[in-house]
Amino acid sequence: MVSGRVGKYQRSVSIIGVGMVPFCDMADHPEMEGLTEGEFFGTAALNAMADAGLEPRDVEFFYHGNANPKFHNDAATPNMQVAQWFGMGGKGSAHHSEACCTGYVALQEAVLDVASGAHDIVLSGCAELACGLPIKGKPAHIRKRLLLEDLIPDLEAIMDRAYTRALGGGHIGQDDWIDLYRTTYGLTDEQVDEVLNTMSYHGRRAAVLNPMAMHRTPFEELAKEAGYDDPMEYLRSPFNPKTTQYLRVTGNATNADGAACVIVCPTEMAHKFRKKPIEVLGIGSSSLELMVPHNEMEITKEAARQVYEVTGLTPDDIDLLFVNDFVLASQLCAAEEVGYLPRGEGWKWMLEGRCAFDGDRPINPHGGRTSYGHAFGVSGMADIYEAVLQLRGEAGAIQVKNHPKTAMLRGFGGGQNCCIPILKAVD
Amino acid sequence: MIEKIVAPFYEGLEHHKILARKCKECGAIEFPPRYACNACGYHETEWVELSGKGKLTTMITPATLNSDPWNAKIGPYCYGIVELEEGVRINSTVFGVTKKKAKTLRNQLPLPVHAIFAERDGYTTLFFQIDEDVLA
Repeated sequence: MVSGRVGKYQRSVSIIGVGMVPFCDMADHPEMEGLTEGEFFGTAALNAMADAGLEPRDVEFFYHGNANPKFHNDAATPNMQVAQWFGMGGKGSAHHSEACCTGYVALQEAVLDVASGAHDIVLSGCAELACGLPIKGKPAHIRKRLLLEDLIPDLEAIMDRAYTRALGGGHIGQDDWIDLYRTTYGLTDEQVDEVLNTMSYHGRRAAVLNPMAMHRTPFEELAKEAGYDDPMEYLRSPFNPKTTQYLRVTGNATNADGAACVIVCPTEMAHKFRKKPIEVLGIGSSSLELMVPHNEMEITKEAARQVYEVTGLTPDDIDLLFVNDFVLASQLCAAEEVGYLPRGEGWKWMLEGRCAFDGDRPINPHGGRTSYGHAFGVSGMADIYEAVLQLRGEAGAIQVKNHPKTAMLRGFGGGQNCCIPILKAVD
Repeated sequence: MIEKIVAPFYEGLEHHKILARKCKECGAIEFPPRYACNACGYHETEWVELSGKGKLTTMITPATLNSDPWNAKIGPYCYGIVELEEGVRINSTVFGVTKKKAKTLRNQLPLPVHAIFAERDGYTTLFFQIDEDVLA
């Protein structure tokens, strides 16, 4: 791979507003069923404006992100189709799409825009109705349920069509990094299983307390229903079967419907608005196609190197880490790769619960993708939403201990795109 | 004229030839073949042929979420990293690994492999197979 670099912004940029629509499967919630992309994006956008104390007329430009607008929304111009829902008809906008990395790229687009001086107040958001599919010829509120046989063939779209799909090089991603970890540090298959189940358990403990999360039933309750007193015994049981060599059902993210938005402005203006500004210190990025060995590890290493270099920070400066863990094992492997946990020791920290939301080295205090849910292109923006709440001290029941000042987000998506921002609360 | 790369690569596979590109500056092999070098970032590469011999260095056995019924028709398989003797490393599909043998074989990694060619829906594709003497 060829390494890159990122320079300092021409002017500092801060987040001044965030908004969300909770992750859920609309079909399971009568009060949500029938809502459309415009209503989802519009609600998240207006919530972000209210958070900042802005009206739509104050926002100068917006970015729209969605992992796959043609498949999930039958739309080729999704930004134009939602603009009027939140009072920005006639203003400039652009759409972008980078599979599950979309939400992190969404922040990068807005920050680069404001840093360049092109605009002062920019909204960037993502909406994804990932539990259903549009029906040709019917209005947007009429949808059908997305089935696994619809989704699996469509996931091929993240792989290179010239070579990777035809040469069978794209199916290793879920297990590759944890397999390398197991081999490198000499863990047994049983130890890996126990670590992953412990991570599932603590993720669910957080999601139960998080009003934005999708899966809010404690494993204790699910275990009892299945005839187990101990939730860990349930997680090891045939009720939670292996879906890959290492990952059980609870190690995979569940599709969700959701939306999230952020508003940024120059840091020098940020104190004029309602909430404590959160500065975006820098964003590292790297991508590698799925056929390249250990691609998730390599791009995480490269993007982290870039963002540490441009910010001058070290892993010791990071108080809180978010990891897009739609493959649960990434939480552990990426945390070690970015230096947040000591190499080869992180699995013990996980077993001891030290990375839980109430532990001393928290990761994904919102519950992580496997309990929070995964609305594809929105997930990264939801991580940013949750990180902002944590840095403001507004995360309620899942607020981590020792009020964090600096957060890193290991954004990842499509199995090949990595984007790592570092956020810092402005005093 | 725009130089064709993908079509000649698949034509090569039809004749059981594995074509790659070699960087004219650093000498790294670009595989699958593309115009430029992704080892050093130089713009120019040229055609070379690979032997198809190498070693399997990791082994992931397929399960419900990542299995491919078409592969299973050829025989038992795994996913893994293949390192070819010319220095190329790729994620690939490797045949000759039954679920029963996987644990034993994993402890023997790296394992020697060779290229195999399979006809699929109007084109020839490239996979690898663990050398027969290892499986014997």
